[in-house]
Amino acid sequence: MSVLAPKFKLSEFIKSLFDNAFWALLLVSLVGLPLIQVVLFYIEMPVINGELLTPFLALTWLADPSRSLPIVKAFMATDMFRVMVFPGFGFAALLAAGTIFVERKMLAKLQLRVGPFYCGKIEGILQLAGDGLKLISKEIIIPAKADKPIFWAAPVIFVATAAAFVALIPVAPGGWVVADVDLGLLGVFAIIGFFPIITILSAWSANSKFPFIGGIRALFQMVSFEIPLILSLLGVVIVTGTLNLSEISASQSFFPWIVFLPVGAIVFFITMLAELERIPFDLPEAESEIVAGWLTEFSGMMYGLVQLGTYLKLYAFAALFVVLFLGGWNGPMIVPPFPEEILTEGIVLGPVTAKFPGLPLFDQAMLNGTLWFVIKTVGVIFFILLPRGVFPRIRIDMLLSLGWTKLIGLAFVNIFIALGLLYAGVLGPGGLQ
Amino acid sequence: MFAFGIAAMAPALLISRMVSPRKKSNPVKFLPMECGQVPSGEGRTHFMMQYYPFILMFVVFDVMAIFLYAWGSSLLELPKSATLPMMGFLAIMFGAMAFALYQSGRKRIW
Repeated sequence: MSVLAPKFKLSEFIKSLFDNAFWALLLVSLVGLPLIQVVLFYIEMPVINGELLTPFLALTWLADPSRSLPIVKAFMATDMFRVMVFPGFGFAALLAAGTIFVERKMLAKLQLRVGPFYCGKIEGILQLAGDGLKLISKEIIIPAKADKPIFWAAPVIFVATAAAFVALIPVAPGGWVVADVDLGLLGVFAIIGFFPIITILSAWSANSKFPFIGGIRALFQMVSFEIPLILSLLGVVIVTGTLNLSEISASQSFFPWIVFLPVGAIVFFITMLAELERIPFDLPEAESEIVAGWLTEFSGMMYGLVQLGTYLKLYAFAALFVVLFLGGWNGPMIVPPFPEEILTEGIVLGPVTAKFPGLPLFDQAMLNGTLWFVIKTVGVIFFILLPRGVFPRIRIDMLLSLGWTKLIGLAFVNIFIALGLLYAGVLGPGGLQ
Repeated sequence: MFAFGIAAMAPALLISRMVSPRKKSNPVKFLPMECGQVPSGEGRTHFMMQYYPFILMFVVFDVMAIFLYAWGSSLLELPKSATLPMMGFLAIMFGAMAFALYQSGRKRIW
Protein backbone atom coordinates (compact mmCIF):
# COMPACT_ATOMS: atom_id res chain seq x y z
CA MET A 1 0.00 0.00 0.00
CA SER A 2 1.38 3.32 -0.96
CA VAL A 3 1.74 6.07 1.60
CA LEU A 4 1.77 9.71 0.71
CA ALA A 5 5.21 11.20 1.45
CA PRO A 6 6.42 8.69 4.05
CA LYS A 7 9.33 10.83 5.26
CA PHE A 8 7.33 14.02 5.67
CA LYS A 9 8.78 16.53 8.14
CA LEU A 10 7.12 19.88 8.79
CA SER A 11 10.46 21.63 9.34
CA GLU A 12 11.81 20.48 6.00
CA PHE A 13 8.59 21.45 4.28
CA ILE A 14 8.84 25.00 5.69
CA LYS A 15 12.50 25.12 4.72
CA SER A 16 11.62 24.16 1.17
CA LEU A 17 8.98 26.90 1.06
CA PHE A 18 11.58 29.46 2.14
CA ASP A 19 14.02 28.09 -0.41
CA ASN A 20 11.51 28.48 -3.21
CA ALA A 21 10.65 32.01 -2.08
CA PHE A 22 14.35 32.87 -2.06
CA TRP A 23 14.89 31.60 -5.58
CA ALA A 24 11.79 33.38 -6.83
CA LEU A 25 12.99 36.67 -5.33
CA LEU A 26 16.45 36.19 -6.78
CA LEU A 27 15.06 35.49 -10.25
CA VAL A 28 12.73 38.49 -10.09
CA SER A 29 15.46 40.88 -9.02
CA LEU A 30 18.09 39.57 -11.43
CA VAL A 31 15.93 38.88 -14.48
CA GLY A 32 12.46 40.32 -14.04
CA LEU A 33 13.33 43.87 -13.01
CA PRO A 34 15.92 44.43 -15.76
CA LEU A 35 13.38 43.04 -18.21
CA ILE A 36 10.80 45.59 -17.05
CA GLN A 37 13.37 48.35 -17.46
CA VAL A 38 14.15 47.18 -20.98
CA VAL A 39 10.43 47.17 -21.81
CA LEU A 40 10.02 50.69 -20.40
CA PHE A 41 12.93 52.04 -22.40
CA TYR A 42 12.52 50.35 -25.74
CA ILE A 43 8.81 49.67 -26.30
CA GLU A 44 6.64 52.48 -27.60
CA MET A 45 3.50 52.92 -25.52
CA PRO A 46 0.29 54.01 -27.28
CA VAL A 47 -1.21 57.50 -26.95
CA ILE A 48 -4.70 57.32 -25.47
CA ASN A 49 -6.99 60.31 -24.90
CA GLY A 50 -4.14 62.60 -25.87
CA GLU A 51 -1.84 61.29 -23.16
CA LEU A 52 1.15 59.02 -23.54
CA LEU A 53 0.37 55.84 -21.67
CA THR A 54 2.95 55.14 -18.99
CA PRO A 55 2.72 52.01 -16.86
CA PHE A 56 1.79 54.14 -13.82
CA LEU A 57 -1.00 55.88 -15.73
CA ALA A 58 -2.22 52.51 -16.96
CA LEU A 59 -2.39 51.20 -13.40
CA THR A 60 -4.44 54.20 -12.29
CA TRP A 61 -6.78 53.91 -15.24
CA LEU A 62 -7.32 50.20 -14.79
CA ALA A 63 -9.24 50.94 -11.59
CA ASP A 64 -11.86 52.86 -13.58
CA PRO A 65 -13.77 50.73 -16.13
CA SER A 66 -14.76 53.65 -18.31
CA ARG A 67 -11.12 54.63 -18.71
CA SER A 68 -9.65 51.16 -18.87
CA LEU A 69 -11.56 50.14 -22.01
CA PRO A 70 -9.39 52.27 -24.35
CA ILE A 71 -6.32 50.62 -22.86
CA VAL A 72 -7.82 47.21 -23.55
CA LYS A 73 -8.66 48.29 -27.10
CA ALA A 74 -5.16 49.63 -27.67
CA PHE A 75 -3.77 46.33 -26.41
CA MET A 76 -6.07 44.38 -28.71
CA ALA A 77 -4.72 46.22 -31.73
CA THR A 78 -1.17 45.07 -31.02
CA ASP A 79 0.56 42.08 -32.55
CA MET A 80 1.20 40.71 -29.09
CA PHE A 81 -2.53 40.22 -28.51
CA ARG A 82 -2.88 38.48 -31.86
CA VAL A 83 -0.02 36.12 -31.12
CA MET A 84 -0.88 35.39 -27.51
CA VAL A 85 -4.65 35.54 -27.25
CA PHE A 86 -7.15 35.70 -30.03
CA PRO A 87 -6.33 34.23 -33.39
CA GLY A 88 -3.12 32.84 -32.00
CA PHE A 89 -2.00 30.66 -29.16
CA GLY A 90 -4.69 31.12 -26.50
CA PHE A 91 -7.62 30.58 -28.86
CA ALA A 92 -6.02 27.53 -30.46
CA ALA A 93 -4.98 26.04 -27.13
CA LEU A 94 -8.51 26.51 -25.78
CA LEU A 95 -10.00 24.70 -28.77
CA ALA A 96 -7.31 22.01 -28.49
CA ALA A 97 -8.12 21.45 -24.81
CA GLY A 98 -11.81 21.18 -25.64
CA THR A 99 -10.92 18.70 -28.37
CA ILE A 100 -9.01 16.46 -25.97
CA PHE A 101 -11.91 16.36 -23.51
CA VAL A 102 -14.57 15.80 -26.18
CA GLU A 103 -12.47 13.10 -27.79
CA ARG A 104 -12.08 11.11 -24.58
CA LYS A 105 -15.73 11.46 -23.67
CA MET A 106 -17.03 10.70 -27.15
CA LEU A 107 -14.81 7.66 -27.67
CA ALA A 108 -15.92 6.34 -24.32
CA LYS A 109 -19.57 6.72 -25.30
CA LEU A 110 -18.90 5.02 -28.65
CA GLN A 111 -17.32 2.06 -26.88
CA LEU A 112 -19.95 1.90 -24.12
CA ARG A 113 -17.52 3.14 -21.45
CA VAL A 114 -17.92 6.08 -19.09
CA GLY A 115 -14.73 8.02 -19.83
CA PRO A 116 -13.37 10.65 -17.45
CA PHE A 117 -15.89 10.84 -14.64
CA TYR A 118 -14.60 11.73 -11.20
CA CYS A 119 -12.36 14.76 -11.62
CA GLY A 120 -14.65 17.75 -11.24
CA LYS A 121 -18.23 17.21 -10.18
CA ILE A 122 -19.83 17.29 -13.65
CA GLU A 123 -18.81 14.45 -15.95
CA GLY A 124 -15.09 14.74 -15.26
CA ILE A 125 -14.78 18.22 -16.66
CA LEU A 126 -11.59 18.99 -14.74
CA GLN A 127 -9.81 15.87 -15.99
CA LEU A 128 -7.61 17.89 -18.31
CA ALA A 129 -6.40 20.18 -15.53
CA GLY A 130 -5.71 17.12 -13.41
CA ASP A 131 -3.72 15.52 -16.22
CA GLY A 132 -1.74 18.70 -16.73
CA LEU A 133 -0.85 18.91 -13.03
CA LYS A 134 0.12 15.24 -13.03
CA LEU A 135 2.35 15.62 -16.08
CA ILE A 136 4.09 18.74 -14.80
CA SER A 137 4.87 17.14 -11.44
CA LYS A 138 6.33 13.95 -12.88
CA GLU A 139 9.99 13.24 -13.19
CA ILE A 140 11.53 13.60 -16.63
CA ILE A 141 13.60 10.53 -17.40
CA ILE A 142 16.03 10.72 -20.28
CA PRO A 143 17.43 7.42 -21.49
CA ALA A 144 21.15 6.89 -21.18
CA LYS A 145 23.15 7.48 -24.37
CA ALA A 146 20.39 9.74 -25.69
CA ASP A 147 21.39 12.86 -27.58
CA LYS A 148 20.36 15.24 -24.81
CA PRO A 149 20.13 18.65 -26.51
CA ILE A 150 18.01 17.35 -29.38
CA PHE A 151 15.92 15.23 -27.05
CA TRP A 152 15.14 18.22 -24.83
CA ALA A 153 14.49 20.56 -27.74
CA ALA A 154 12.25 18.25 -29.78
CA PRO A 155 8.96 18.70 -27.81
CA VAL A 156 9.42 22.47 -27.56
CA ILE A 157 10.15 22.82 -31.26
CA PHE A 158 7.20 20.56 -32.04
CA VAL A 159 4.81 22.87 -30.14
CA ALA A 160 6.42 25.96 -31.63
CA THR A 161 6.07 24.61 -35.18
CA ALA A 162 2.42 23.77 -34.57
CA ALA A 163 1.97 27.32 -33.24
CA ALA A 164 3.60 28.71 -36.37
CA PHE A 165 1.04 26.74 -38.38
CA VAL A 166 -1.78 28.25 -36.29
CA ALA A 167 -0.39 31.72 -37.01
CA LEU A 168 -1.26 31.43 -40.71
CA ILE A 169 -4.96 30.70 -40.20
CA PRO A 170 -7.34 33.65 -40.78
CA VAL A 171 -10.16 33.47 -38.25
CA ALA A 172 -12.39 36.51 -38.88
CA PRO A 173 -12.79 39.28 -41.45
CA GLY A 174 -10.89 42.51 -40.92
CA GLY A 175 -7.41 41.12 -40.59
CA TRP A 176 -7.86 38.80 -37.62
CA VAL A 177 -4.86 36.67 -38.49
CA VAL A 178 -1.42 36.65 -36.92
CA ALA A 179 0.60 36.52 -40.13
CA ASP A 180 -1.20 37.71 -43.27
CA VAL A 181 1.26 36.36 -45.82
CA ASP A 182 0.73 36.64 -49.57
CA LEU A 183 2.18 33.18 -50.05
CA GLY A 184 0.23 31.75 -47.10
CA LEU A 185 -0.48 28.37 -48.63
CA LEU A 186 3.18 27.83 -49.54
CA GLY A 187 4.00 28.81 -45.94
CA VAL A 188 1.63 26.09 -44.76
CA PHE A 189 3.44 23.51 -46.92
CA ALA A 190 6.79 24.71 -45.60
CA ILE A 191 5.63 24.31 -42.01
CA ILE A 192 4.08 20.90 -42.66
CA GLY A 193 7.45 19.86 -44.06
CA PHE A 194 9.06 20.49 -40.69
CA PHE A 195 7.03 17.89 -38.78
CA PRO A 196 8.69 14.77 -40.24
CA ILE A 197 12.10 16.31 -39.52
CA ILE A 198 11.23 16.96 -35.88
CA THR A 199 9.77 13.50 -35.53
CA ILE A 200 12.78 11.74 -36.99
CA LEU A 201 15.17 13.90 -34.93
CA SER A 202 13.46 13.09 -31.66
CA ALA A 203 13.21 9.43 -32.60
CA TRP A 204 16.88 9.29 -33.52
CA SER A 205 18.05 11.13 -30.43
CA ALA A 206 16.27 8.79 -28.01
CA ASN A 207 18.60 5.90 -28.91
CA SER A 208 15.93 3.31 -28.33
CA LYS A 209 14.33 0.80 -30.67
CA PHE A 210 10.63 1.62 -30.43
CA PRO A 211 10.97 5.37 -30.99
CA PHE A 212 13.26 4.71 -33.93
CA ILE A 213 10.82 2.35 -35.62
CA GLY A 214 7.97 4.78 -34.95
CA GLY A 215 9.99 7.70 -36.26
CA ILE A 216 10.83 5.88 -39.50
CA ARG A 217 7.17 5.00 -39.93
CA ALA A 218 6.16 8.62 -39.29
CA LEU A 219 8.70 9.75 -41.88
CA PHE A 220 7.34 7.39 -44.53
CA GLN A 221 3.76 8.25 -43.75
CA MET A 222 4.12 12.03 -43.71
CA VAL A 223 6.35 12.00 -46.78
CA SER A 224 4.06 9.82 -48.85
CA PHE A 225 0.97 11.85 -47.98
CA GLU A 226 2.52 15.24 -48.51
CA ILE A 227 2.34 15.10 -52.31
CA PRO A 228 -1.40 14.23 -52.47
CA LEU A 229 -1.94 16.98 -49.89
CA ILE A 230 -0.11 19.55 -51.99
CA LEU A 231 -1.78 18.44 -55.23
CA SER A 232 -5.29 18.33 -53.76
CA LEU A 233 -5.12 22.02 -52.78
CA LEU A 234 -4.01 23.08 -56.26
CA GLY A 235 -7.62 23.07 -57.45
CA VAL A 236 -8.58 25.76 -54.96
CA VAL A 237 -5.61 27.88 -56.00
CA ILE A 238 -6.54 27.49 -59.68
CA VAL A 239 -10.11 28.71 -59.19
CA THR A 240 -9.21 31.56 -56.80
CA GLY A 241 -5.94 32.63 -58.41
CA THR A 242 -4.32 33.56 -55.11
CA LEU A 243 -2.23 31.92 -52.41
CA ASN A 244 -3.27 34.30 -49.62
CA LEU A 245 -5.46 32.40 -47.15
CA SER A 246 -7.49 35.48 -46.19
CA GLU A 247 -8.32 36.15 -49.84
CA ILE A 248 -9.21 32.49 -50.41
CA SER A 249 -11.53 32.67 -47.42
CA ALA A 250 -13.11 35.93 -48.61
CA SER A 251 -13.63 34.51 -52.13
CA GLN A 252 -16.18 32.01 -50.81
CA SER A 253 -18.83 34.48 -49.75
CA PHE A 254 -21.48 32.92 -52.04
CA PHE A 255 -20.60 29.23 -52.05
CA PRO A 256 -17.85 27.15 -50.44
CA TRP A 257 -15.39 25.43 -52.77
CA ILE A 258 -16.43 22.00 -51.51
CA VAL A 259 -19.48 22.38 -53.77
CA PHE A 260 -17.30 22.50 -56.88
CA LEU A 261 -14.26 20.53 -55.75
CA PRO A 262 -15.56 17.66 -53.61
CA VAL A 263 -12.85 15.27 -54.83
CA GLY A 264 -10.11 17.60 -53.63
CA ALA A 265 -11.85 18.03 -50.29
CA ILE A 266 -12.06 14.26 -49.76
CA VAL A 267 -8.41 13.73 -50.73
CA PHE A 268 -7.34 16.57 -48.44
CA PHE A 269 -9.36 15.14 -45.56
CA ILE A 270 -7.75 11.70 -45.91
CA THR A 271 -4.23 13.13 -46.18
CA MET A 272 -5.05 15.30 -43.15
CA LEU A 273 -5.82 12.19 -41.11
CA ALA A 274 -2.48 10.72 -42.19
CA GLU A 275 -0.47 13.85 -41.40
CA LEU A 276 -2.09 14.01 -37.97
CA GLU A 277 -1.21 10.34 -37.29
CA ARG A 278 -4.77 9.54 -36.37
CA ILE A 279 -6.57 6.22 -36.77
CA PRO A 280 -6.74 4.60 -39.34
CA PHE A 281 -3.25 5.98 -40.08
CA ASP A 282 -1.75 5.90 -36.59
CA LEU A 283 1.13 3.60 -37.51
CA PRO A 284 3.78 5.86 -35.93
CA GLU A 285 2.10 5.56 -32.53
CA ALA A 286 0.63 2.08 -32.86
CA GLU A 287 0.11 1.19 -29.19
CA SER A 288 -0.43 -2.53 -29.70
CA GLU A 289 2.71 -3.02 -31.79
CA ILE A 290 5.43 -0.57 -30.80
CA VAL A 291 4.43 0.68 -27.30
CA ALA A 292 3.88 4.36 -28.17
CA GLY A 293 5.93 4.73 -31.32
CA TRP A 294 8.14 7.78 -31.41
CA LEU A 295 6.72 9.02 -28.08
CA THR A 296 7.91 6.00 -26.12
CA GLU A 297 10.84 7.60 -24.31
CA PHE A 298 9.11 10.89 -23.55
CA SER A 299 8.04 11.23 -19.95
CA GLY A 300 6.38 13.85 -17.80
CA MET A 301 5.96 17.32 -19.24
CA MET A 302 7.84 16.45 -22.43
CA TYR A 303 5.04 14.05 -23.32
CA GLY A 304 2.50 16.72 -22.34
CA LEU A 305 4.12 19.21 -24.69
CA VAL A 306 4.05 16.74 -27.56
CA GLN A 307 0.36 16.11 -26.90
CA LEU A 308 -0.33 19.86 -26.85
CA GLY A 309 1.52 20.24 -30.14
CA THR A 310 -0.43 17.35 -31.66
CA TYR A 311 -3.76 18.91 -30.79
CA LEU A 312 -2.67 22.38 -31.91
CA LYS A 313 -1.75 20.76 -35.21
CA LEU A 314 -5.15 19.07 -35.33
CA TYR A 315 -6.89 22.42 -34.82
CA ALA A 316 -4.72 24.04 -37.47
CA PHE A 317 -5.47 21.35 -40.05
CA ALA A 318 -9.21 21.46 -39.34
CA ALA A 319 -9.11 25.26 -39.62
CA LEU A 320 -7.20 24.98 -42.91
CA PHE A 321 -9.90 22.65 -44.24
CA VAL A 322 -12.53 25.19 -43.21
CA VAL A 323 -10.66 28.09 -44.79
CA LEU A 324 -10.03 26.32 -48.07
CA PHE A 325 -13.17 24.29 -48.63
CA LEU A 326 -15.96 25.26 -46.24
CA GLY A 327 -15.93 29.02 -46.66
CA GLY A 328 -13.94 30.15 -43.66
CA TRP A 329 -15.71 32.85 -41.72
CA ASN A 330 -18.54 33.31 -44.22
CA GLY A 331 -22.08 32.62 -43.08
CA PRO A 332 -25.42 34.30 -42.53
CA MET A 333 -25.41 37.11 -39.99
CA ILE A 334 -26.77 35.63 -36.77
CA VAL A 335 -25.04 37.75 -34.14
CA PRO A 336 -27.38 40.60 -33.06
CA PRO A 337 -26.02 44.14 -33.43
CA PHE A 338 -24.62 45.86 -30.38
CA PRO A 339 -27.51 47.62 -28.52
CA GLU A 340 -27.53 51.32 -29.39
CA GLU A 341 -28.82 52.59 -26.04
CA ILE A 342 -25.70 51.39 -24.23
CA LEU A 343 -23.64 53.58 -26.55
CA THR A 344 -25.86 56.64 -26.20
CA GLU A 345 -27.18 56.42 -22.63
CA GLY A 346 -24.89 53.96 -20.89
CA ILE A 347 -25.99 51.16 -18.59
CA VAL A 348 -28.65 52.29 -16.10
CA LEU A 349 -28.85 50.31 -12.88
CA GLY A 350 -31.42 52.04 -10.67
CA PRO A 351 -29.96 55.40 -9.66
CA VAL A 352 -26.51 54.64 -11.08
CA THR A 353 -25.65 55.26 -14.72
CA ALA A 354 -22.39 53.89 -16.07
CA LYS A 355 -21.07 55.17 -19.38
CA PHE A 356 -18.46 53.20 -21.29
CA PRO A 357 -16.70 55.12 -24.04
CA GLY A 358 -14.88 52.69 -26.29
CA LEU A 359 -17.64 50.11 -26.56
CA PRO A 360 -18.21 47.92 -28.55
CA LEU A 361 -14.95 46.03 -28.26
CA PHE A 362 -15.51 43.89 -31.38
CA ASP A 363 -17.63 44.76 -34.38
CA GLN A 364 -20.55 42.61 -35.42
CA ALA A 365 -18.96 41.17 -38.57
CA MET A 366 -15.93 39.97 -36.64
CA LEU A 367 -18.03 38.25 -33.95
CA ASN A 368 -20.24 36.62 -36.57
CA GLY A 369 -17.23 35.46 -38.58
CA THR A 370 -15.59 33.98 -35.51
CA LEU A 371 -18.80 32.20 -34.56
CA TRP A 372 -19.18 30.60 -38.00
CA PHE A 373 -15.49 29.75 -38.12
CA VAL A 374 -15.64 28.02 -34.74
CA ILE A 375 -18.84 26.14 -35.64
CA LYS A 376 -17.32 24.83 -38.87
CA THR A 377 -13.97 24.01 -37.28
CA VAL A 378 -15.62 22.08 -34.46
CA GLY A 379 -17.62 20.14 -37.04
CA VAL A 380 -14.48 19.21 -38.98
CA ILE A 381 -12.68 18.26 -35.75
CA PHE A 382 -15.63 16.01 -34.91
CA PHE A 383 -15.23 14.22 -38.23
CA ILE A 384 -11.50 13.86 -37.60
CA LEU A 385 -12.16 12.30 -34.18
CA LEU A 386 -14.92 9.99 -35.32
CA PRO A 387 -12.83 7.36 -37.23
CA ARG A 388 -10.88 6.63 -34.05
CA GLY A 389 -13.87 4.87 -32.58
CA VAL A 390 -14.75 3.02 -35.74
CA PHE A 391 -11.81 1.93 -37.88
CA PRO A 392 -8.89 -0.47 -37.34
CA ARG A 393 -5.31 0.42 -38.23
CA ILE A 394 -4.10 -0.28 -41.77
CA ARG A 395 -0.81 -1.88 -42.80
CA ILE A 396 2.12 0.24 -43.96
CA ASP A 397 2.22 -1.18 -47.49
CA MET A 398 -1.53 -0.50 -47.86
CA LEU A 399 -0.89 3.02 -46.58
CA LEU A 400 1.88 3.68 -49.06
CA SER A 401 -0.03 2.29 -52.04
CA LEU A 402 -3.11 4.30 -51.00
CA GLY A 403 -1.11 7.50 -50.76
CA TRP A 404 0.95 7.04 -53.89
CA THR A 405 -1.54 5.59 -56.35
CA LYS A 406 -5.15 6.29 -55.44
CA LEU A 407 -4.90 9.66 -53.73
CA ILE A 408 -2.47 11.15 -56.25
CA GLY A 409 -4.71 9.94 -59.09
CA LEU A 410 -7.72 11.56 -57.45
CA ALA A 411 -5.75 14.76 -56.88
CA PHE A 412 -4.99 14.92 -60.61
CA VAL A 413 -8.68 14.38 -61.34
CA ASN A 414 -9.40 17.30 -59.03
CA ILE A 415 -6.96 19.55 -60.90
CA PHE A 416 -8.70 18.76 -64.18
CA ILE A 417 -12.13 19.42 -62.62
CA ALA A 418 -10.88 22.86 -61.54
CA LEU A 419 -9.41 23.59 -64.97
CA GLY A 420 -12.63 22.45 -66.64
CA LEU A 421 -14.73 24.71 -64.41
CA LEU A 422 -12.45 27.63 -65.19
CA TYR A 423 -12.37 27.15 -68.97
CA ALA A 424 -16.07 26.32 -69.22
CA GLY A 425 -16.71 29.75 -67.72
CA VAL A 426 -18.47 28.49 -64.60
CA LEU A 427 -15.96 30.08 -62.25
CA GLY A 428 -13.36 32.79 -62.55
CA PRO A 429 -13.68 36.02 -64.56
CA GLY A 430 -17.07 36.21 -66.25
CA GLY A 431 -18.37 33.25 -64.30
CA LEU A 432 -20.31 32.94 -61.08
CA GLN A 433 -17.81 34.96 -59.13
CA MET B 1 4.42 32.84 -33.21
CA PHE B 2 7.23 30.27 -33.45
CA ALA B 3 9.32 32.33 -31.06
CA PHE B 4 6.36 32.76 -28.74
CA GLY B 5 5.79 29.02 -28.81
CA ILE B 6 9.37 28.42 -27.70
CA ALA B 7 9.25 31.22 -25.12
CA ALA B 8 6.00 29.94 -23.65
CA MET B 9 6.78 26.24 -23.65
CA ALA B 10 10.39 26.13 -22.48
CA PRO B 11 9.36 27.42 -19.00
CA ALA B 12 6.93 24.51 -18.75
CA LEU B 13 9.86 22.11 -18.97
CA LEU B 14 11.87 24.22 -16.50
CA ILE B 15 9.00 24.35 -13.99
CA SER B 16 8.50 20.65 -14.40
CA ARG B 17 12.20 20.11 -13.76
CA MET B 18 12.00 22.25 -10.59
CA VAL B 19 8.77 20.78 -9.24
CA SER B 20 9.21 17.13 -10.04
CA PRO B 21 10.90 14.73 -7.63
CA ARG B 22 14.23 13.23 -8.56
CA LYS B 23 14.64 9.93 -6.83
CA LYS B 24 17.96 8.22 -6.34
CA SER B 25 18.83 6.54 -9.55
CA ASN B 26 19.91 3.09 -10.41
CA PRO B 27 21.36 2.25 -13.81
CA VAL B 28 18.30 0.25 -14.83
CA LYS B 29 16.10 3.34 -14.62
CA PHE B 30 17.82 5.12 -17.50
CA LEU B 31 17.90 2.16 -19.85
CA PRO B 32 15.86 2.48 -23.03
CA MET B 33 12.35 1.13 -22.85
CA GLU B 34 12.17 -2.45 -24.03
CA CYS B 35 9.08 -3.78 -22.25
CA GLY B 36 10.89 -4.72 -19.06
CA GLN B 37 13.74 -6.65 -20.66
CA VAL B 38 17.34 -5.56 -20.51
CA PRO B 39 17.84 -3.97 -23.93
CA SER B 40 20.08 -5.77 -26.35
CA GLY B 41 21.87 -4.56 -29.43
CA GLU B 42 21.98 -1.13 -30.96
CA GLY B 43 19.29 1.41 -30.19
CA ARG B 44 19.37 2.86 -33.67
CA THR B 45 18.43 -0.15 -35.72
CA HIS B 46 18.79 -0.54 -39.45
CA PHE B 47 16.89 1.55 -41.95
CA MET B 48 14.11 -0.25 -43.81
CA MET B 49 15.40 -0.35 -47.39
CA GLN B 50 12.17 -1.87 -48.65
CA TYR B 51 10.36 1.47 -48.74
CA TYR B 52 13.35 3.63 -49.67
CA PRO B 53 12.09 4.29 -53.25
CA PHE B 54 9.21 6.29 -51.80
CA ILE B 55 11.64 8.70 -50.17
CA LEU B 56 13.46 9.10 -53.47
CA MET B 57 10.18 9.72 -55.27
CA PHE B 58 9.23 12.31 -52.67
CA VAL B 59 12.39 14.31 -53.30
CA VAL B 60 11.58 14.58 -57.01
CA PHE B 61 7.82 14.98 -57.04
CA ASP B 62 7.59 17.40 -54.13
CA VAL B 63 9.54 19.94 -56.15
CA MET B 64 7.33 19.30 -59.19
CA ALA B 65 4.16 19.69 -57.15
CA ILE B 66 5.33 22.98 -55.64
CA PHE B 67 6.26 24.18 -59.12
CA LEU B 68 2.65 23.62 -60.17
CA TYR B 69 1.64 26.30 -57.65
CA ALA B 70 3.60 28.95 -59.50
CA TRP B 71 1.46 28.09 -62.52
CA GLY B 72 -1.82 27.62 -60.65
CA SER B 73 -1.73 30.91 -58.78
CA SER B 74 -1.08 32.95 -61.95
CA LEU B 75 -3.38 30.96 -64.22
CA LEU B 76 -6.01 33.73 -64.43
CA GLU B 77 -3.50 36.17 -65.91
CA LEU B 78 -1.96 33.75 -68.39
CA PRO B 79 -3.25 33.31 -71.97
CA LYS B 80 -5.13 30.11 -72.63
CA SER B 81 -2.44 28.82 -74.95
CA ALA B 82 -0.05 28.62 -71.98
CA THR B 83 -2.05 25.74 -70.56
CA LEU B 84 -0.99 23.29 -73.26
CA PRO B 85 2.71 23.07 -72.22
CA MET B 86 1.50 22.61 -68.65
CA MET B 87 -0.60 19.67 -69.79
CA GLY B 88 2.60 18.24 -71.24
CA PHE B 89 4.34 18.81 -67.92
CA LEU B 90 1.50 17.10 -66.06
CA ALA B 91 1.65 14.17 -68.47
CA ILE B 92 5.39 13.80 -67.95
CA MET B 93 4.90 14.01 -64.20
CA PHE B 94 2.14 11.43 -64.27
CA GLY B 95 4.09 9.07 -66.51
CA ALA B 96 7.22 9.39 -64.43
CA MET B 97 5.25 8.74 -61.30
CA ALA B 98 3.65 5.63 -62.76
CA PHE B 99 7.06 4.32 -63.85
CA ALA B 100 8.58 5.03 -60.43
CA LEU B 101 5.68 3.29 -58.71
CA TYR B 102 6.14 0.29 -60.96
CA GLN B 103 9.85 0.19 -60.10
CA SER B 104 9.16 0.56 -56.39
CA GLY B 105 6.76 -2.38 -56.62
CA ARG B 106 9.59 -4.67 -57.73
CA LYS B 107 10.61 -5.63 -54.22
CA ARG B 108 13.53 -7.87 -55.14
CA ILE B 109 15.65 -5.14 -56.73
CA TRP B 110 15.58 -3.10 -53.51
